[in-house]
Amino acid sequence: MAKFEAGMENMVDMFIFETTSLLEQLDQILMKTENESSFGSEDINEIFRTMHTIKGSSSMMGLENMSHLAHAVEDMFFIIREDNPEITDKKTLFDLVFTASDLLKTEIELLQEDEYTPTDFSGHMSKIEAYAKALKEGGGAAPAAAAQTAAPSQAAAAAVPEGKTIKVISNSGECMTTVKIFFEDDCKMENLRALLVINNIKSECSALTYEPSDIEDNGESAKTIIDNGFVIHFRPAADVTQDTVIDIIGNSLNVKSYEVTDAADSGTKEVPLASLSEAKVTFVEDCKMENLRALMVVNNIRDSVELLAFSPEDIENDPSTAQAIIENGFTIYFKAAEDQAIIDMIKATPNVKSAELVRRGGEAPAAEEKAPAKTEAAAAAPAKTDAAPAPKASEPKDAKKAPPAVTGGAKQSLISVNLNKLDQLLDIVGEIVITEAMVTSSPDLKVKGLKLDNFQKAARQLRKLNSELQETVMSIRMVPLSGAFNKMTRIVRDMKVKLNKDVDLVFEGEETEVDKSIIDNLNDPLMHMVRNSMDHGIEDTAEERIAKGKPAKGKITLSAYNSSGEVIICVIDDGQGINPEKVLDKAEKNGMLTKPRSEYTDKEIFNMIMLPGFSTNEEVTEYSGRGVGMDVVKKNIEKTGGSVSVDSKWGEGTQFTIKIPLSLSIVDGMEISVGQSIFTIPIGVIKESFKIKPNQLLRDTNGSEMVMIRGECYPLIRLYDVFDLEPSSTDINDGIIILVEVESEGKSACLLADELIGEQQVVVKPFSPMLNNFNVKENGMAGCSILGDGSITIILDIGNIISDF
Amino acid sequence: MNEENVKDFSTEGGEALLFSIDDTVYGIEIKYINEIISIEQITIVPKVPDYIKGVINLRGKIVPIISVRRRFGKEEIPYDERTCIIVLEFDDGNFVGIIVDRVREVTIVKPEEICLPPDCKKVNANKYIKNIIESDGEIKQLLNCEKLISDI
Repeated sequence: MAKFEAGMENMVDMFIFETTSLLEQLDQILMKTENESSFGSEDINEIFRTMHTIKGSSSMMGLENMSHLAHAVEDMFFIIREDNPEITDKKTLFDLVFTASDLLKTEIELLQEDEYTPTDFSGHMSKIEAYAKALKEGGGAAPAAAAQTAAPSQAAAAAVPEGKTIKVISNSGECMTTVKIFFEDDCKMENLRALLVINNIKSECSALTYEPSDIEDNGESAKTIIDNGFVIHFRPAADVTQDTVIDIIGNSLNVKSYEVTDAADSGTKEVPLASLSEAKVTFVEDCKMENLRALMVVNNIRDSVELLAFSPEDIENDPSTAQAIIENGFTIYFKAAEDQAIIDMIKATPNVKSAELVRRGGEAPAAEEKAPAKTEAAAAAPAKTDAAPAPKASEPKDAKKAPPAVTGGAKQSLISVNLNKLDQLLDIVGEIVITEAMVTSSPDLKVKGLKLDNFQKAARQLRKLNSELQETVMSIRMVPLSGAFNKMTRIVRDMKVKLNKDVDLVFEGEETEVDKSIIDNLNDPLMHMVRNSMDHGIEDTAEERIAKGKPAKGKITLSAYNSSGEVIICVIDDGQGINPEKVLDKAEKNGMLTKPRSEYTDKEIFNMIMLPGFSTNEEVTEYSGRGVGMDVVKKNIEKTGGSVSVDSKWGEGTQFTIKIPLSLSIVDGMEISVGQSIFTIPIGVIKESFKIKPNQLLRDTNGSEMVMIRGECYPLIRLYDVFDLEPSSTDINDGIIILVEVESEGKSACLLADELIGEQQVVVKPFSPMLNNFNVKENGMAGCSILGDGSITIILDIGNIISDF
Repeated sequence: MNEENVKDFSTEGGEALLFSIDDTVYGIEIKYINEIISIEQITIVPKVPDYIKGVINLRGKIVPIISVRRRFGKEEIPYDERTCIIVLEFDDGNFVGIIVDRVREVTIVKPEEICLPPDCKKVNANKYIKNIIESDGEIKQLLNCEKLISDI
């Protein structure tokens, strides 16, 4: 990891994580807009905001080069957003942004290495600037420009010496806007987060102060921020509106909520109660937290009324008001054009039982309540400058705005967790499952005459909860494949341009979920396969395709679906397919053939391309064909416990099929006994189990045994022979035959065991490294697992057992 | 374990757990000892050398078990109530249990009581013995735990 100032190291991980996900988002937006070949204003804003955040956070980390590059892109989109110029050269624009995104990604990767020297991006930056300039001139009419925003930003930065305060409160002639920010709970280092926000808005403000002011040097200020919030006073720069700045604040990282406490034109004032309409609201009995329900009502109507007050007042912070509401109802005083419309809105709020208009504004008050109620101007009416501007800075509680729903919602409902912690959690759940079985099958319970009714009831409840717990933990670890698939769009896009092939990338079932640890191992193989399909699969020219009667545009399909505890992922192209003759020629040349050419089946031939050192392409291209590709793919996938196979039709296309287990750590297994030992066979490989009839057993001339079943002949493997165990009986009629098939190897066999015990989910635990010295895996043992009674079962690696026969 | 705190037992001495097999007394440096448990159900792992008795479930950890008697080429004797499994923990976080006839005590070994085994081909050929300790009028052999579990 590169060296950072003290106190910054902890931020690096966070920075890398956040920036990476931002860049991924950016790529997705770009892909989308490129397909539609037009920018929606939402897209432009999103790109602008993304770049803005990256700029801010990287400059906070002291990564000036990244910050500047992001700034250049941001400026370019600023022009696009403000001037809305006609973009004639879209291709260059997309290339520029894609390259910028790539450069930033590479830089993030470099950052994680020990020796980090910042890369110089000035070459690409000047390209962007040139393009931005052309855009601006092309756009013509509108004057706002990058240069202008850049200049004040420098000035503003200089005007606010870091770490020192200049208090400019609104009485200095011009009004400052005051915003109070709260950060997400537990986001840590609130002071640095605050600094990030300041950096974000610095360039948009002509004056800027904040409290606490010593956020950069004083770690203690984080606590102040947690307790009291972080208060920013600013005056927007000449060409920026107050809302733009507030938006930026709202969209900054980790900002949980913010309130504009002192916008120059809104605030609280006092009006005679008589002028307001009064409504009484009651809530559904037992709906709980009446004060917060009331707050919802207030929030609902806030934007539709001119003036608003309510009693009890402190509903947001004082839970005891709930009781008052239950007893006396909740009273709202408001002024609006259409009283009934407001009443309807109140009624539409969840949990509201009734709402009635007690009195219309302006009418003589029925009650003797003359005291002026404290009222606030609605937050949604910022344009009203004629309202008394004497702002009561002290009690602005309800002018809070929720951050924009799209980003705000996602921010708060997602957290990122270290994968190690999830691994630990899964381990513990595994232990709990085992321990539960130990408790419920404890020998102490077997004493005769015990009344266990209550115990059994509780035990059932526990079992139910445990299985829910296990499912939840597993589901936490599951992530959809769409992330991995989306990365491919980028690769296809780049290769389309470079290879000049027109290809559609189609996703099917990308919402299919697999364990996180598997996804990480899946990215490289997928990338290799997609590259292969692009490079070798799809024909070089559209003419070639049309001549074969195919559509001019090639098609690569990535599909995923669940099938009996496995996830099946296919990479299908409709290109030229694999020529079996060519593969055989090549294999012959490399001396890889082990039998006469005519004896090879198509399946065997196609699987040859995944052998080490095999590449049918004579020419090594930039993308594929180094001859290390497919065997690495195979190895990577096998590492996750999966398998890969190829199928192809010469002239019609190729299909790669990857099968991976849903999860690495929990397997559905069939327990079998052999002598005194208990083994577990993964359910996936078992085809059937049966008792043998005498006429089904045959022996070859060497005495090796075979089993005939439905016209097929399989070798018989006596498990006690394989493992040198003491059998309980050598008579084949006493045991049970289990027919297993290992699809990746294309092999089947019959295993002889003493007894089937039952099906059970087991948690796979690897063997100790000491035992691995003795090739346990090659001897047919994949790992072990602990059963409910605390005993250990060994999980068999059927593939390795069969391959010895 | 912190590198700087590792004291060389051969020169500095330290605590050692003593156990016996037949009449021979062996010692193991205290830093390897995780716990001592009584003998329990051992699950056989096929296809491994005969001195590896199998694996046990130690509170969710799968721990391989070595019979020291078999390791040293002696005949197995039936397990009795004094037979113990000493669970060793290694620097890389691995656990291995060893079956011994009986555990004696933990003793403090002074540096002057330690001497090295002779360095020649035939005696101590597999280097299981790290040091010889002579104290209280008795000879003890300090085992080299890494060799004990890794050397095939």
